[in-house]
Amino acid sequence: MSARNITIEYNDKIVRQFMIASIIWGAVGMLVGVLIAAQLNFFQLNFSTSYLTFGRLRPLHTNAVIFALVGNMMFAGVYYSTQRLVKARLASDFLSSLHFWGWQAIILSAAITLPLGLTRGKEYAELIWPINIAVALIWVVFAINFFWTLARRQERSLYVAIWFYIATIITIAILYIVNHLSVPTGLFHSYGLFAGVQDGLVQWWYGHNAVAFFLTTPILGIMYYFLPKAANRPVYSYKLSVIHFWSLVFVYIWAGPHHLLNTALPNWLQMLGMTFSLMLWAPSWGGMLNGLFTLRGAWSKLRTDPVIKFFAAGVTFYGMATFEGPLLSIKSVNALGHYTDWIIGHVHSGALGWNGFMAAGMFYFLVPRLWNKPLYSQSLANLHFWLGIFGILLYVAAMWTSGITQGLMLNSTTEGGTLLTYPNFLDTLNTIRPLMLLRVVGGGLYLVGWLIMIYNIVKSVKGADAINGTVEVVVEDDVPEEERPLGAAVTLWNPPVIFSTLGTIFACVWMFGGPFLQIVGAIGTALSVIVAWVHFESKGKRWAMWYERLLVSAAPFTVLTLIAVLIGGMVQIIPGIVSHQAANVEDRLQIPYTPLELAGRDIYVAEGCYNCHSQMIRTLVPDVMRYGDYSRLGESIYDRPYQWGSRRAGPDLARVGGKYPDSWHYRHMEDSRQISPGSNMPPYPWLNEKDTNVAALASKIKVQRMLGVPYEEMTPEQIQASVDAQANEIVERLKADGIYIAPEKQIVALIAYLQQLGNYEDVSTGDVVRR
Amino acid sequence: MSDNDKPIPPVEGSVRKHVYDGIEEFNKRLPNWWLFTLYITIAFSIGYWFYYAQSGLPLSDGEKVELEIARIQTAKLTTDLVIDDASLWAMSENTALVVAGRETYDSLCAACHLTSLKGKSESPVAIGPDLTDDEWVHGGEPLALYKVVDEGVLAKGMPPWGPTLGVQKTAEVVAYVLSFHDAP
Repeated sequence: MSARNITIEYNDKIVRQFMIASIIWGAVGMLVGVLIAAQLNFFQLNFSTSYLTFGRLRPLHTNAVIFALVGNMMFAGVYYSTQRLVKARLASDFLSSLHFWGWQAIILSAAITLPLGLTRGKEYAELIWPINIAVALIWVVFAINFFWTLARRQERSLYVAIWFYIATIITIAILYIVNHLSVPTGLFHSYGLFAGVQDGLVQWWYGHNAVAFFLTTPILGIMYYFLPKAANRPVYSYKLSVIHFWSLVFVYIWAGPHHLLNTALPNWLQMLGMTFSLMLWAPSWGGMLNGLFTLRGAWSKLRTDPVIKFFAAGVTFYGMATFEGPLLSIKSVNALGHYTDWIIGHVHSGALGWNGFMAAGMFYFLVPRLWNKPLYSQSLANLHFWLGIFGILLYVAAMWTSGITQGLMLNSTTEGGTLLTYPNFLDTLNTIRPLMLLRVVGGGLYLVGWLIMIYNIVKSVKGADAINGTVEVVVEDDVPEEERPLGAAVTLWNPPVIFSTLGTIFACVWMFGGPFLQIVGAIGTALSVIVAWVHFESKGKRWAMWYERLLVSAAPFTVLTLIAVLIGGMVQIIPGIVSHQAANVEDRLQIPYTPLELAGRDIYVAEGCYNCHSQMIRTLVPDVMRYGDYSRLGESIYDRPYQWGSRRAGPDLARVGGKYPDSWHYRHMEDSRQISPGSNMPPYPWLNEKDTNVAALASKIKVQRMLGVPYEEMTPEQIQASVDAQANEIVERLKADGIYIAPEKQIVALIAYLQQLGNYEDVSTGDVVRR
Repeated sequence: MSDNDKPIPPVEGSVRKHVYDGIEEFNKRLPNWWLFTLYITIAFSIGYWFYYAQSGLPLSDGEKVELEIARIQTAKLTTDLVIDDASLWAMSENTALVVAGRETYDSLCAACHLTSLKGKSESPVAIGPDLTDDEWVHGGEPLALYKVVDEGVLAKGMPPWGPTLGVQKTAEVVAYVLSFHDAP
């Protein structure tokens, strides 16, 4: 057996770059967050300019925190730890640089396009199609760089952190691409492939699993590397790592529909969303346990080492958020909490408590190692910690109180349940205003802590020399037999995979089969579990041996992870794609928009109205009493993007059409306080100045036709004539109320759109019901 | 190859043989309470699915809402409050009812008709007409007013408030408006 010694120098430059980018973009993202939180209290902070309204800046905030702060932090952590865990330098310096600069260019273009109102109108998927392509390409660059590095590894066996990185890379690629499939209508605009309920389902399959595989799994991987390193303690339990990794990646994917509980989403999907969210509780807590219990024996460091402080707090917040998630996924709890600030509080325990603290801990760990100089000030790091923890606790407590208060008020009825106690939505909004203000204070404190970290790191790095880590490795040319990768047959044909597959198939047969198949499925599932149990008890050694072999087999490991994450999405999404949805609608069918209404809808989407207004009356009595008959899935079946919304900072709009005169909407958009005293909605004066883009309608309608919306073929002249006719009707009605506006202004198109919300065709009679 | 040729997998509490960049791993067993949490959520999910998807027992969400809304409608229709011109005029002279009506008015109606009730005659940007003068677009009899508030006039942009307010509160609002006028 021949062996030779080589020295590897890690590419730590790329780690420094991503780290600095994360810190800077993080500050920007949080600053925008504090601004938009203040806008909810003081509408004047929208500055009456289109570029700075809440509806456009809120997507900037969420995208910056997810993709810029956490994204860059993740890349820094993944690149630092992977090189060391596999004892290999990153495969390509060029790809690393391309990854870095490409990602920053994407963030920059997002920061420009979102305030301009260029958006796809789906949460955390707002970026327009050319940027989508760039994201997909850069992600592929990341994947190639990562897997190529794995291929060149000197350490055969894959540590648990690497498992999580693999799951992250493949799953995000799939989620991102599927949710962004769209047909361009122009350089900056496109319509998605999916519409209505299907779009909502795909959106939250993506959105929820962006939380799972962008904000959770990579950070868990980072935890598994940096936390035992910082604590200098062994990881608590390898067995727990195995169980919680596989259960987490398998179960997480199914939970997306919990974002659409009590809506028009078919009930079987809602039930899957709820039950899988509950089953996700233990797998999530497995990660928390492995983090916290690893600190056993190192708790004394908690007093002295800021790195441990941040990690311990981060993991604790992870545990709290992953308990709160399943709780909120229970349909009855969701009826209260959904559309309120409770959800906002929940995501911030995740984003600030988990992601932000893990990022800070990692940065404080990395600075002395990447610049070979101790941290400038431990006390400033401690101050950052206490400001951060106080800020986030204030934030979360304010949002819990606010969300539950508003939820209770909105759902409250009186006179024997026959009347709403607070029929005016603004009463509920103005009750929570002090809490919304406390949130600004909490978020502001967190930001101040972050700025102190920037100062501390700048002082530490100043005058220091950047250094790159090195390692001596012994390269053995002959790989021993137990370290050779598994072949395809053994990867799939072995007890754990066989029993998991059988169990999953039988469980699906039980859940979705007819009366006879249900029994077969239930018995089959039970048998699979029992036989697997017995087999594990007697031949458990073989299971463990097979898994040890799997850990030296990067490609088979990746394939099995891919299968595990694909199942949930396929079961939920494919049935809706293969059935022609509009043809199967039972009671109500949407009426396709007129050209002017379509133009108005695109303005609604571009202004980000969905950030505050839902278009989904849930199957809940208070919702029906407040907003009208509950929404049917057919009523938004052609909507691209679907606009069911996820937060009601303002009332639901699903049946707002015909409720008020055109002049009401005109005044309301000009400055909502003219007719809704106490409203916090931004004024939209530019809608009276800008012209509706009628020229774009031809290609938009063509794409809609192509995607299956039953539009007649229309020439540009016919479109123009239809727009003119409808716009003139609205202008005449406004004139009667003393308002003079030119028909080509955007406000006219928007009014046309708003006034048809709630119209539908009764499928059984064929009648068109207009509001 | 037989199982005996293989190294024995790590036992409880031991540290795994493999070390990754200095990181060791214990092989501790899973905490019982954690396993219990996992099993109980799985068991609950199975029971939940069986009950709601397969047993055929519970009503669908939509059916439940429709039943409850029907109950509310019935309750609203069976009120012992008499609504006619005379009773509404009488209410307009009852201070307690007028004050209650004013509260509802200020919260909902003032948006268009202004808190002064003067609407368009006070401000040209107001949406609703003056309610203090003697010109009535849809009739000035108390019952006509009641009908406008209750059912709305969609063509003119007056929303129906009856479903939101119920009989009692609708009558109070009308009484409040009538309190600005003289009874015949």
